[in-house]
Amino acid sequence: MSLLEIKNLHARIGDTGILHGIDLTIGRGEVHAIMGPNGSGKSTLSYVLSGRDGYEVTEGDILLDGESVLEMEADERARAGMFLAFQYPVELPGVGGMAFLRAAVNARKRDAGKDEVDQLEFVKMVRAEAKNLGIKDDMLKRPVNVGFSGGEKKRYEILQMALLKPSMAILDETDSGLDVDALKIVSEGVNLLRSVERGMLVITHYQRLLNHIVPDQVHILAGGRIVKSGDKTLALEVEENGYSGLGDAA
Amino acid sequence: MQPERLYKTWADRKEAAQSYLESVNWPNGQTEAWKFTSLSHLSDVVLNPPKQSSSIARAARLDGEVLNFTAGLAPHLAAASLPAGIIASDISGDKAICHKAFALLPDNHHLTALSASCQTAAVKIEIAGSAKIDTPLILQFTDGKIDEASHPFIFIDIADGAHLHLAELHEGASSLSQPLILVRLGQGSTLDHIKLQDEANHTTHLGLTLFRLDGQANVNSFSVSKGSQITRMETHCFFAAPDAQAAMSAVYLGCDNQHHDITTVVSHEYADCKSRQLIRGVLDDKARGVFQGRVRVAPDAQKTDGQQMSRALLLSRDAEADAKPELEIFADDVVCSHGATVGELDETLLFYLKSRGIDEAEARTMLIDAFLVDTLEEISYQPFADFLRGQVSGWTARQTGVE
Repeated sequence: MSLLEIKNLHARIGDTGILHGIDLTIGRGEVHAIMGPNGSGKSTLSYVLSGRDGYEVTEGDILLDGESVLEMEADERARAGMFLAFQYPVELPGVGGMAFLRAAVNARKRDAGKDEVDQLEFVKMVRAEAKNLGIKDDMLKRPVNVGFSGGEKKRYEILQMALLKPSMAILDETDSGLDVDALKIVSEGVNLLRSVERGMLVITHYQRLLNHIVPDQVHILAGGRIVKSGDKTLALEVEENGYSGLGDAA
Repeated sequence: MQPERLYKTWADRKEAAQSYLESVNWPNGQTEAWKFTSLSHLSDVVLNPPKQSSSIARAARLDGEVLNFTAGLAPHLAAASLPAGIIASDISGDKAICHKAFALLPDNHHLTALSASCQTAAVKIEIAGSAKIDTPLILQFTDGKIDEASHPFIFIDIADGAHLHLAELHEGASSLSQPLILVRLGQGSTLDHIKLQDEANHTTHLGLTLFRLDGQANVNSFSVSKGSQITRMETHCFFAAPDAQAAMSAVYLGCDNQHHDITTVVSHEYADCKSRQLIRGVLDDKARGVFQGRVRVAPDAQKTDGQQMSRALLLSRDAEADAKPELEIFADDVVCSHGATVGELDETLLFYLKSRGIDEAEARTMLIDAFLVDTLEEISYQPFADFLRGQVSGWTARQTGVE
């Protein structure tokens, strides 16, 4: 059985249709990339998959482990194994970082019928994962994302992914706002999380991220549809020729 | 400034108060001071003084020396075993002291007139300067019945250099609860004060707490309003000498069709004084919240630092918040600021938390707690901070359905 199956997905925000029939299947252990110009529906796809309010699915289905997630709230989908690394992670003043991470991890544990994680053990676990991503203790003590630089916010997203161990991770423009060094650290963090158990959908505007996180398949999104699919060389083709022309293939 | 001369005796004052109340009846939204809060529902009911009953000793929810005002009546003070340095006396028969104390309160003011006219208890508590008092003094107001009115007056006199931890816990059940607490802080004295308004849901709470500060005095006050049907909670600060400081913050938590009116009056009469107010409100269902904050800076009160910020969070479309900051600044070398905002829970923040597997109720709880956390950090005395944090998080958990 495939991990994630997107079938003829149509979605709209208010009266505006954005996705017009997306078909995409991701198996365990696979990394797929979605590339597309601005306004092609990339971020909408990530929000529709993760269940954000206001994004209405009008046709089609999304199956995670063979089960439709359409009737599930965002938090239920997350506990079922879906994870979205945000393009713009939000600041949560007044919400302590450690309390937030622990609430997220415990929510999954409770759902799985497991004991909640012990506080001391949890701190050790977070520190170990944070070290891999070059996240300092001081950052962990601050409220979520408050006062973080762009690069720190993205690293914090990957830290959450490492702690939550999702089966299906969606990375929405994780490269945006990162300089070359930060891009390298974040990509290394993501690569460490590649696993035969986990699927990844890497959404990006630019090919450069895919030099670091090498995908098994690349899909081009234009006008709310996948207009072309191929292996990693397709990304290089886009780099060379741009998106113009690809849309016409639809 | 000193209205004492207007009334020669307590009898004069009482008579004036009665005629004032007869002329204005209950405020019904017509006057500026009561623009957002109408008490017209009280004109239809006959309120009786509380019946004499033996004082019921009740354990307080907070550790300390407890004085229990049952239905607004004075505790049996002779039996109270207060620590050395605290002297409490019944002054209901001492017209001279009542007269002197009321001279420190604002005139032509509904709540002081009501108290002068209808007092059900009058107690003076003196805090000696030499005493070292570690345990908090807890004024606890309990019991009372429908159609009863409770009007206790408590005058706390803190000697120069003394220190006190004072808690007012209002958990009564009279139809009208009108506590008036006057605190005079002597030179260089300090006070940590909290007030919890958690009265029965049929109560109208009309509280006034007034701090009068001498030079170098310092008060840290924090109020939480969460009970009763209609609340008007006034906190006044009168700087009667230079170089004193007051922090008086508040949180109001409204649900159902509650009405919470937080009104503050800060009078900077002398130079070099500092006042700071953080007000936060959370309103659910059809609740209404009001913040009125007046800061007056007299012409001679140079180098005044007056800060005021109020924020309200609406959890429901039917909730409403009003804010009316009033700055009257007559000095030219001052730093004064104020601000007021009203908002809802941010959908983007909620989605972020939910996308991590945290359910709606827990996510909302986290965001409401986050909205209040920095305000609660204003409470400097740890046992008070822990107590009020528990009160606030208990309310939030009940509203979001987490508990």
